[in-house]
Amino acid sequence: MTQTDTADAPAQATEPHGRQAARPLLHFAERYALAGLLVVVGVFFTVLPASSQIFPTAANIQILASSQAVTLLIALAALVPLAAGFFDFSAGAVAAASSVVMAGMMANHGLPLWTCVLAAFAVGLTVGFFNGIAVCVFGMNSFVITLAAATLLGGGIQWYTHGQTISKNISPALIDFGSLTWGGIPRVLFVVAGATLGIYYLVDQTPYGRSLRAMGDNPSAAKLVGIPVVRTGVGAFVIAGALASLAGITLTARIGGATADNGTAMIFPALAAVFLGATAIRPGHFNVFGTVFGVTLVAVSVSGLTLAGAADWVNPVFNGAALAVAVMISSYLGKRTR
Amino acid sequence: MPPSSKTQAAAFSLEARGISKRFGGTQALDDATLTLRPGSINALLGGNGSGKSTIVKCLTGVYRADEGEVLLHGRTMSARDISPVVAHRAGIRVVHQDLALFDRASIAENFAFADRFPTTPLGSVSWSRLNRRVAQILEQHSIPARPTDLVGGLRPAQKTLVAIARALQDQQDQPDQEMVLLLDEPTASLPEREVALLFEALRERASQGQSLAIVTHRLSEVLAVADDITVFRDGRVVGALPAATADHDELLSLLAGPTRQVQEVGTAGENGQGQPGAGRVAVELQQVSAPPLADADLVVHEGEIVGVAGLLGSGRSTLLNVIFGCRKPTSGMVRVNGLPLQPGDVAGAMAAGVALVPENRLRDAAFSTVSVRENVSAAVIKEFWRLWMRAGRERAEAQRLARKYAIKTRDVEQPYLHLSGGNQQKVILARWLRRKPRILLLDEPTQGVDAVARMEIYRAIRDAADEGCAIIVASSDHDELALLCHRVVVLQAGRVGGHLSHGTITPDAITRIVQSVSASLEPVR
Repeated sequence: MTQTDTADAPAQATEPHGRQAARPLLHFAERYALAGLLVVVGVFFTVLPASSQIFPTAANIQILASSQAVTLLIALAALVPLAAGFFDFSAGAVAAASSVVMAGMMANHGLPLWTCVLAAFAVGLTVGFFNGIAVCVFGMNSFVITLAAATLLGGGIQWYTHGQTISKNISPALIDFGSLTWGGIPRVLFVVAGATLGIYYLVDQTPYGRSLRAMGDNPSAAKLVGIPVVRTGVGAFVIAGALASLAGITLTARIGGATADNGTAMIFPALAAVFLGATAIRPGHFNVFGTVFGVTLVAVSVSGLTLAGAADWVNPVFNGAALAVAVMISSYLGKRTR
Repeated sequence: MPPSSKTQAAAFSLEARGISKRFGGTQALDDATLTLRPGSINALLGGNGSGKSTIVKCLTGVYRADEGEVLLHGRTMSARDISPVVAHRAGIRVVHQDLALFDRASIAENFAFADRFPTTPLGSVSWSRLNRRVAQILEQHSIPARPTDLVGGLRPAQKTLVAIARALQDQQDQPDQEMVLLLDEPTASLPEREVALLFEALRERASQGQSLAIVTHRLSEVLAVADDITVFRDGRVVGALPAATADHDELLSLLAGPTRQVQEVGTAGENGQGQPGAGRVAVELQQVSAPPLADADLVVHEGEIVGVAGLLGSGRSTLLNVIFGCRKPTSGMVRVNGLPLQPGDVAGAMAAGVALVPENRLRDAAFSTVSVRENVSAAVIKEFWRLWMRAGRERAEAQRLARKYAIKTRDVEQPYLHLSGGNQQKVILARWLRRKPRILLLDEPTQGVDAVARMEIYRAIRDAADEGCAIIVASSDHDELALLCHRVVVLQAGRVGGHLSHGTITPDAITRIVQSVSASLEPVR
């Protein structure tokens, strides 16, 4: 690199723009508020007499972790297009459809596991590809078109399953994967950890991830710095589809089959976690580790509340309240630091 | 209703004294004084962060001043008490740089949003009354548009006029209400010809007794239109003088202050080196058609700075966009270094060494919520990828560029949108200059940029040309073209005509050709 310092500017170029010294502290508080809250909640339920018997045990933590594996995978699926400024509402439905296709192929056709896994991925990749083409080539609104895809898949699931759960002939290897541990750690967590690191790498450590974020900020400017916006956007939806399929496979492994559920119950907690995650680590931006904290916080709190004797309705109420409060705090902090 | 309520001719229609405003650790305004005389235009000049916009915001209640008092039409009030409502009631009207127009609504609706919708006895909106009223106001302000036209379909120039007309709309109903009109950077996005029209309209208003204040960056504009000039620097008023006695150099040194030496950028011709153009051909347009362009030809050599002038809508931006590949021509060819460019291929043009700094910074260039670092490396991301993003290296390079191009930022991790207009533009320029482009296309490169930052941008452009980059500048600012360019072409009827070469380029000469085009445009078919 040749450095040409022909126009080295006067020293005051770097003169501070004069804001408070309190900024770094505020920044730190903003980045780690969610993590801090997680610690507080964890300590609280460990100490609380009503839940302290079960909450801090290895068994509970295992259950907790593997039950959130699917949510986190769907959250990661939603995150990739969101980083580029597109909603993907179909991730939950894609997971459900992948699960149904996979279980159906085992139950009704007796196909080997690897074929069924490929079929599950085929569902996600196909739906993702069509979503991407609709949004990035034909310029349809991502919110609407993925909602349509989700509804359509829901109908397909209903048609295929006749509302019945599929649980015959599920591969024992798959069930083992969903229910057993390696060294005390649920096996599904290894897949989730791999996916999380992979998506972190993709979004934060590659030019592709930078392109996604540039598109999310300003698609017109992204085009004018040479980013292939169509390819990048379609890619984001395809990756989302693949992750949603992975979530579906994990789901099948966890429950040992597939239900006739259409997946809408899965997408909302996942989206909530992504938005919750956007208030932490890199505030104001959708980010992977923030999302992990988001999923974990909600899971830990709900588990603690349930063990402490709270009723079923507490789960969604807590989800919603946590999201509202987190967004409130982060927009308040955002205003303060601006 | 007396015909004129100005029985005692007040010396000032507005006098603001001792206005101070502090944001955190920054004294944005320090004991500033501003006076507006009836029927006159006061131009508020200053660099970014000098306080000129802050005082307007204090006077209109956008910010609460910490101290100071305001005498308005003989009434005194504490500056701390001014809220938007109080300011409006007192007759202070403002048009901010962001015009606050609703693009998807009609002009008439925009007027009504800011005031109210006239209703029929049944309570529904009386569109006929609204449209009639707005048509009248538009006519008064000589705006060639219908009340039912969508604001989004208007040219930027017309939008400004609509915003001004809207701000003054109740003058129509209450001719006795004395108003002062404050315009925050009204010309920042206006082409030259429209600026002239706007100023004509403003002078007309002033001659009818209207007091006006204009915040602006452009010195020549100030000298053309203002009666009084108030110069701000670092939150203080460092000069208040009649425009008649002020000159360009004096103002520039007032603006820059003692610590910041402004080396005037000499005109291209004065720079000594012989006329470039003998160099190799860098870019060549052959019979390019892309409405409004029709069979445009242009050749630009290495090291040459060529200005493109022309009326609004003459295709200045289109010309640059075609070269950069973000606009596909219907016919014709662009050659870069002798090789034809694939039409409509931005990545291909970039690979061939073409760079474009677009006209609309916020819409087409800025990644507002991400850091200065990411903005400045947006066009070279892959260079920092070695399996991982090399964050440290990227950061160091960003800091080096910030120093080199005098980008004032606390830290390159600061979000782009926190920067001032001039610094934002320098970031975009740095984004492209770091690629060492062979052809640099600049569309209105100093729009909304203060006088000092403008000189810094000119110097960066000049340096790039000295290193052999071919530069095409499309601008409606003829002073800018005259200062910067070795050669100026004027777009007429879709073609490149009206060449002005070395030695004959003056702002007046450019304006004459551009205007003569408008006169002769009709017969050309």
